[in-house]
Amino acid sequence: MTVDNDSQAAISGPMMLTRRLFVACAALLAVSSGVGNPLVSSAFAQSADPGASVFMQKLGNDAIGTFSNKSTPKEQALQHFRALLHKGFDVPYIGRWVLGRYWNQASEAQQAEYQKLFEQLIVGTYAERFIEYSGETFKIVGALPEGETDTMVTTQIIRPSGPPVNVNWRIRKKDADYKIIDVVVENVSMGVTQRQEFSSVVQQNGGKVDGLIQALRQKVGKAG
Amino acid sequence: MKLASLTRSTLRSALVAALALTATACANKPVDSGSKEAAYEVNDPLEVPNRFVFAANEAADLLVLRPAAEVYVAAVPDPIRDAIHNFIDNLMAPLYIANNLLQGNFDGAQHATGRFLTNTILGAGGIADVATQAGIPNRPEDFGQTLAVWGVDSGPYLVLPLLGPSNLRDTVGYGVDTVADPVRVWGYATNNKGALTARAATNAIDRRSRVLKEVDDLRRNSLDFYATVRSLHQQQRQAEVTNKPVSGPDFPDFASAPKQ
Repeated sequence: MTVDNDSQAAISGPMMLTRRLFVACAALLAVSSGVGNPLVSSAFAQSADPGASVFMQKLGNDAIGTFSNKSTPKEQALQHFRALLHKGFDVPYIGRWVLGRYWNQASEAQQAEYQKLFEQLIVGTYAERFIEYSGETFKIVGALPEGETDTMVTTQIIRPSGPPVNVNWRIRKKDADYKIIDVVVENVSMGVTQRQEFSSVVQQNGGKVDGLIQALRQKVGKAG
Repeated sequence: MKLASLTRSTLRSALVAALALTATACANKPVDSGSKEAAYEVNDPLEVPNRFVFAANEAADLLVLRPAAEVYVAAVPDPIRDAIHNFIDNLMAPLYIANNLLQGNFDGAQHATGRFLTNTILGAGGIADVATQAGIPNRPEDFGQTLAVWGVDSGPYLVLPLLGPSNLRDTVGYGVDTVADPVRVWGYATNNKGALTARAATNAIDRRSRVLKEVDDLRRNSLDFYATVRSLHQQQRQAEVTNKPVSGPDFPDFASAPKQ
């Protein structure tokens, strides 16, 4: 492991502490040996919060338990989905993150309406898929710290028909709770996708957040 | 390290403040160069013609390709569809091997070679994908990725007629792969162009049939399907080029950020 491979170490110049070099190299080793290699990451680099994996396992089990029961009426199933959504995800945070720079351009009334519509869009988009649950299982492959405050839990969704899907969950600890703030499916971030899409809608409407809100109203109205 | 010793939250607050200022200053400008928003901006200067081609592709898909794919799924049994898929995929192996070598990725070339030999010999000419079960999954490498490794920037986002989302570099890459394809060379040499057309059509229908539900879902739930596809494609492509998961975007802590 040479100094050249570690750009962080290079910035601090030739006079670096041995300890810092060790930590940096270990982190690089953890990353390059593959995402979700629990042996290396827990031994050397800053270890992932085990609470995040526990939270994820419980959420997954709850979801499977809830939606395996096919006899639940549709209305109730939707309620179940909503409850799980808010338990597992920080929906207001995601809504604000997805709106990006336009959040600060929006008035308080617009922000409030946007958040309400955003939540409805999420429910409208994803509830069906969960209610149609047909025997998928998931297994937690590993967990790595992400950024400074978050944990990336890597899972595999095993489908009865088709190859397994790699899904990574970005989890942030909020007080005593854990909440998911992004989902990365096969290296594509759902948050980024949604953000770029909303950004496009705003731009297509002359840079006005109202245009997005109007589009959301229409989309949610149709689904609702 | 000096940068690390600066309070991270101070940095973050400063960044969000700068972002807010930039946002208000450039309210109607689509690209905020210099602010972190640039990281989320898509490189699409040809958006107008792209949207036009995209609409035409959508029409072709809804009228021709999707119905054909549905019929394909309904009429042809699963094992045969899998066999067709595996066979066509296996024909691409020489290109994957070549591209790995061109990228200087000898492990990748070895992997691709092993997969090709396993599937061709043990998989009865490629119709059975025994390699994946043996732990040698498919890792496509095209010339667009090779160009990326050589340092060529992706260039503007392009929607190609029928072929769909791409970019300038990948379009050139696609052209090179097409011309270099040994199967195509064989087809022209032995005057079997019909076989090539059949392969292309079957390939298109096969690929389409594998994402019927997913595309329907996306179409139904998108506010701007063009933008969704663009975002998905660019992220996917970025991950393919680097051959590892892309580093995540920044998720600031809004609670501690100053309000507008």
